[in-house]
Amino acid sequence: MSGESTGEKTIEDWRIRIDEIDLELVKLFNERTQCAIEIGHIKKRLGLEIYSPAREAQVVANVTAANTGPLDAEAIRRLFERVIDEARRIERIEASKEEGSGE
Amino acid sequence: MGSRDPLPTAHCPLPTVFMIIVMEENATEEQIVRVVDSLIKLGFDIHRSTGARYTLLGAVGSRITDPRELELLEGVNKVVRVSAPYKLAARAFKPEGTKIEIGDVTIGGEQVVVMAGPGVVESREQMETIAGRLAKRGVRVLRGGAFRTSDDPYGFQGLGEEGLKLLREVADRHRMLTHSTIFDAAQLPLFARYVDIVQVSERDMRNYALLKEIARLGKPVMLRRGASSTIEETLMAADYVMRCGDHQVIVCERGIRTFETYTRHTLDLSAIPVIKKLSSLPIIVDPSRAMGRRDKVPPMARAAVAAGADGLLIEVHHDPDHALSDGAQSLTLEQFDKLIDQLRLIASAVERAL
Repeated sequence: MSGESTGEKTIEDWRIRIDEIDLELVKLFNERTQCAIEIGHIKKRLGLEIYSPAREAQVVANVTAANTGPLDAEAIRRLFERVIDEARRIERIEASKEEGSGE
Repeated sequence: MGSRDPLPTAHCPLPTVFMIIVMEENATEEQIVRVVDSLIKLGFDIHRSTGARYTLLGAVGSRITDPRELELLEGVNKVVRVSAPYKLAARAFKPEGTKIEIGDVTIGGEQVVVMAGPGVVESREQMETIAGRLAKRGVRVLRGGAFRTSDDPYGFQGLGEEGLKLLREVADRHRMLTHSTIFDAAQLPLFARYVDIVQVSERDMRNYALLKEIARLGKPVMLRRGASSTIEETLMAADYVMRCGDHQVIVCERGIRTFETYTRHTLDLSAIPVIKKLSSLPIIVDPSRAMGRRDKVPPMARAAVAAGADGLLIEVHHDPDHALSDGAQSLTLEQFDKLIDQLRLIASAVERAL
């Protein structure tokens, strides 16, 4: 038995899978961020506020509604709050860059 | 709100301000949104964490904000300011410590710097007698007041420019630096000419307009902690000077007001290790002013060196009984001699030189 593959995955196998997923997440996070940057530029042009609480609430509602577990709704909410925090931050940074170069 | 008046910012990196806002258990979404909105308008990045019962908002920005202003918003339970309200004076800004080099004297280094001299400059003979003796004992900084703001309106008011000139002349003759107290922005040109270490009185520690002017001199500034000022307030005052481009600030502990009346003030020796930890700035202790009577000065001077002070400011007079001011708190030359010998022993025990 020892050394033979039993078909059962080891910790190492699961970790390899996690690493793969993480790379996917990084790609997706950045794609999502690029969208936020574009929105930031448009908001800036239209003179809209960066902080849109209604939209943030909608994002949280979307993802918690789509959730099928095993993470519970609260966990999904907390994770996406962090994603939203970072999107808001990068929109602010982008907007302030434009302010600097616009003059 | 008063802390937001415009200041020159050329040399001023923005501080990192970190606060945690805890919302009430039953705070509504509208209330949370309003708090987030106010923080964003103040330039903060927000990290929101909605818990089962409490929502926490972490705020990172560069604007020093009064937590009480946020606590007034509806739905806010508590605001915790994590970062110190001062930045440039903070140890984190210069972890290796601030060393102030004036000629061949370094304040904030291994050497414990003794600054001594009379409370006020009275005459050439007086200065010569005292300085000659101090120099022989290795004292490198000569103190002497020229503009005395006595509590007694009829007391000796000091010699003014003549006093500073005498201080400079005598100090130069003995290869010493000069230390004197400024009271008015009008005196700046005189201090630029005659004084190496510009002392700000405890009353002026919070005279921010004067601090800004003094910072322009670009000289080492010794900031005396106010008798009723906290350590935090003192370091905030140091930031005022530093924010205006002068980073050579020395903090001076000279006693605080407590319920004890036996001595004039209570010398807060605990400020030494506390300021050493919180701040990179050198700390000097003035036991003369704090105690107000000469018999109590040597024990506190010894304790200050033992506690890690970077220097001492001691009043010495060749004839204290006939001094024109503060004779009671001035050591005689003989007392000073004896004290210096003791201080050397203590300094070596705490791995410092004196």
